[in-house]
Amino acid sequence: MIDSLSKQYEIEDKGNRLFKIRINQNEFLRTINFIGSSSNFITLSQIACSDWIEDEVFILNYILTTDRRDKNLMIELEISREQSKLPTLLHIFPQAEVMERDLHEMYGIDFIGNLTLYDFALEDWNEIPPLRREFDTLAYVNEHFEFRAGREDNKDVKAETKRRRAEAKKLKAKKEAKK
Amino acid sequence: MIESEQNRVIKIFHGPQHPGITGNMSVELDLVGETIQKARTHIGYLHRGFEKLVERRTIIQAFTIVCRICVPEPDPNEENFARAIEGLAGIEISERAKYIRVMVLEMSRLSAQMLWMGGQSGSVGLGTVAQWSIYDRDLILDLFEELTGGRVYHMYIYPGGVRRELPDGFLDRLTQFLDYLERRLPKYDNILFDNSTFKKRAIGVGVINPDEALKYGYVGQALRGCGIKRDVRKDNPYLVYDKLDFDIPTFEGGDVYARALVRRQEIKESIKILRQVIADMPTEGDIMQKIPKHRKFKIPKNDILVSCESARGEFNYYMAGDGTEKIRRMQVKGPSLIHGFTLLEKMLEGEELSNVAMIMNSLGICPPEIER
Repeated sequence: MIDSLSKQYEIEDKGNRLFKIRINQNEFLRTINFIGSSSNFITLSQIACSDWIEDEVFILNYILTTDRRDKNLMIELEISREQSKLPTLLHIFPQAEVMERDLHEMYGIDFIGNLTLYDFALEDWNEIPPLRREFDTLAYVNEHFEFRAGREDNKDVKAETKRRRAEAKKLKAKKEAKK
Repeated sequence: MIESEQNRVIKIFHGPQHPGITGNMSVELDLVGETIQKARTHIGYLHRGFEKLVERRTIIQAFTIVCRICVPEPDPNEENFARAIEGLAGIEISERAKYIRVMVLEMSRLSAQMLWMGGQSGSVGLGTVAQWSIYDRDLILDLFEELTGGRVYHMYIYPGGVRRELPDGFLDRLTQFLDYLERRLPKYDNILFDNSTFKKRAIGVGVINPDEALKYGYVGQALRGCGIKRDVRKDNPYLVYDKLDFDIPTFEGGDVYARALVRRQEIKESIKILRQVIADMPTEGDIMQKIPKHRKFKIPKNDILVSCESARGEFNYYMAGDGTEKIRRMQVKGPSLIHGFTLLEKMLEGEELSNVAMIMNSLGICPPEIER
């Protein structure tokens, strides 16, 4: 099965029965259809996305698994962060609906043909999609939420640790100087 | 409750505050009489942003939150997290550590099955079973507390091995518990699995079509309950599962009852595995490999997918490193993502309202692992 795919694609063996092929965005649907019809990687088990902001791309891995569930194949493709669009796989894998909804909400990727890209875990979210690297969780929290009462004397742990260490060092130096 | 179309279709929200919901989620139901016309799952009541938080943390900082992704069953998360880091960083753990991890994962499986038994029986009005099974689960939690210091969240499986050596006499106490549980199982058969009330409610309800089950990505009891023998521990073995002798129970029917019977047999198989682990565990070997200090522990630029079999089915972690000490991306996919949306929404159409809680329990849906 993997051998038959290796005639068409360069396959990386990542060990533990995990394989990867890398494709261009324009080969996407053709590849998924070809693999679906010519191998027993019949299930879409996950769509993993990572944000490489420095390269201005998202890297998506469509993870397919066999009917025996004994091998996994990652189909990796890069898409532009600014024009993040891909065709939906809903017509091939019904489970893609929820995965695409998740990625649409978290990264802002449009899956063309999926008409159910409405709220997933968030409600009325109008900010930067939260799993994009430029979304700063801490800044968002500080801007939108208030610390509950009784924590006014809350201190920054890192700054406080630094201050205490410096104090202890000073004290130690003083004691040694006295000796 | 919203009434519409001259009171013909009634819309109700089953959850998030409802005793028959399996966690912080809601199912929006369109009803005509008692029959469900349409179901739509809503999550978002427990979004803690773990995947985002992990991106700004070092390994040891991220490790403390991954177990919280699934409350009833945290250990598969720890195992996947640790194995993904080990895979990326090229760390091989000792045989002894592998056996200890299998022990923890099977104890966790037993604990989750006991909790499920409580929920499943409660959903059909058999409250006594829940009192028994939650008590028995507590005995497992006692063992976890002794081993790890924590009852629910253990933070025990760490990249490189496990964090603590077994306490003196721990394996003897585990054996005593397994003996006790084995004696209890016939009683659970009487009160739940052979109970005519449960059978009448569960047989023929929430049926899964086996032709769809594999292609649509269903896992765990949803597959095995319709006769399809799939389990990561056998199909793509990790740790020392390939050295252990155990069966993958399957039942025909694809309904709530078949899934319950699968779980019943899985309890037996977990006991069998644990007894082998106790007998075969090497007495020598480091429980933790030498790993870089946490501030200097850099994860190579690469990516990986790891899977393990939780009590509810296959649990996947995708992880990418970028050469720094922080994880570039960790994406969690538990059984609940597909079961809670694709499967549940489809399955509830045409069902009776009174069966919703029972069906949800049988699928083992855990909302925190959907929201991550």
